[in-house]
Amino acid sequence: MANGTERKLTKQDINKVYVRNLFALQFGWNYEKMQGLGYTYVIMPALKRLYGDDPEKMKRALKMQSSYFNTTPGTSHLIVGADMALEEEIGIESEEAVSALKTGLMGPLAGVGDTLFIAIYRAIVFSIAAYVAMQGNPVGLIVPLLACAAVLWVRYKFTWMGYQSGRKLATGFADSIAPITEAASILGLTVVGALIPSVVNYSTNLAFTMGDVTFAVQDMLDKIMPKMLPLGIVMLSY
Amino acid sequence: MQEISFLIILVLLLYTMIAVVDQISIQCGLYSPLFAATFTGLLLGDLQTGLIIGATLQLMTLGVATYGGATVPDYLSGAIMGTSYAIISGEGAEYGIAVAIPIGLLLTQMDVLGRMSNSFFQHYGDRCAERGDWKGMEKANLLGLIPWELSRLIPVALGLFFGEAVVTSINALIPAWFMTGLRTAGAILPAMGMAILMRYLPLKKYYPYFIIGFVLLAYGGSLFTVMAAALLGVALAALHFSRGKDRAVATASGDVAMFDDEEVEIDG
Repeated sequence: MANGTERKLTKQDINKVYVRNLFALQFGWNYEKMQGLGYTYVIMPALKRLYGDDPEKMKRALKMQSSYFNTTPGTSHLIVGADMALEEEIGIESEEAVSALKTGLMGPLAGVGDTLFIAIYRAIVFSIAAYVAMQGNPVGLIVPLLACAAVLWVRYKFTWMGYQSGRKLATGFADSIAPITEAASILGLTVVGALIPSVVNYSTNLAFTMGDVTFAVQDMLDKIMPKMLPLGIVMLSY
Repeated sequence: MQEISFLIILVLLLYTMIAVVDQISIQCGLYSPLFAATFTGLLLGDLQTGLIIGATLQLMTLGVATYGGATVPDYLSGAIMGTSYAIISGEGAEYGIAVAIPIGLLLTQMDVLGRMSNSFFQHYGDRCAERGDWKGMEKANLLGLIPWELSRLIPVALGLFFGEAVVTSINALIPAWFMTGLRTAGAILPAMGMAILMRYLPLKKYYPYFIIGFVLLAYGGSLFTVMAAALLGVALAALHFSRGKDRAVATASGDVAMFDDEEVEIDG
């Protein structure tokens, strides 16, 4: 358990890491290691605290941390938190475990994170805002800002959750996230279903004339089901 | 044709700078076509046009995102430039949308260029890691922001400075039927955005909720709004959640009841 020098991370260290994680994870994004450089920058306050006085350990930590990394920024906090917990407990000898943790978790957390923080988040937040804006009302823009504040708080919680759970994170979180993802998917689908008839405004002017009678195609379609053409276009694209 | 004043160009460039940071970090909204177009419209004195362009572009791009570092069209710059051109030429929102899309698509290359340039900083950072130079690594990551910014700022600056020239050449070079085609596409494209988005949602499993949302607005368009559908969606999700819990509880009490029956039988 001892890492030799009894170094402990302070609350300020972890909060500093949180802020860096919010903003700078992707500054150095490149095709080689993607978020790798950013990750190192993000966790640097913890590395400085733990290995600041030992250049050899710092070198090892830097090399391990700067490996390839890519996941949804929103869920990356969980990995970063767990990483800090592991290194604090075990010290530099944890480098293999940390590397395994990062590599193992970045995939699943990207899957969950992309669905929750990108696909579903946008389906709900930005579509509501866009719908209100379509009516000519700029008030809708408040919705994304409020939602963003909520997400910032959730990401803060993630940092501390990851930190407190350490390695147990991997299985525990995966179990409880499933119902939440399901519920969010239901919400997202309902909203998208509602958006199609309200926002895709396509109707046709086609009309048939037989003798004295004119059939307006759009009226006929409306009698079968309103907004059939918008739905058809979407399903065709799907 | 209206000219875009130097001051407004500066403010828009500043907005772009902040929006790029937003785009690669917290994504609170500034980077989105909705915000960008609305802000541009506000600056140029035509908020309504900005709102419409922003909302339409936003709906089109709902399903478009950089999953795993894939490159997407640059709709931030497209929205800013499209809105500017629509307003200074007086051609209206549909023109702006029609123009924003090809601009965004063309600028994809700038995004790729920017990300590739960051390899330079990655290599510098790797060398720092070898030396244990953590300060150098921090610097490397921060400097990586520069290619990101330039990949958006340069096109937007050029596009806005030469705004008039761009609009004139667009009108001259592109035939009328093509513009009509783009305008029609603009009307239908939100459907595309929604279809892409639906790909990421479990439609096969939860299609009843999709139908509910659709029926609500298709048949009850004058009574309901999308917000109503969202509230209904929350209610349905909560019901789904609690039904799942109830089933678990029922199984538990079922076992207990059986136990009780046996006790009664023995006593009786």
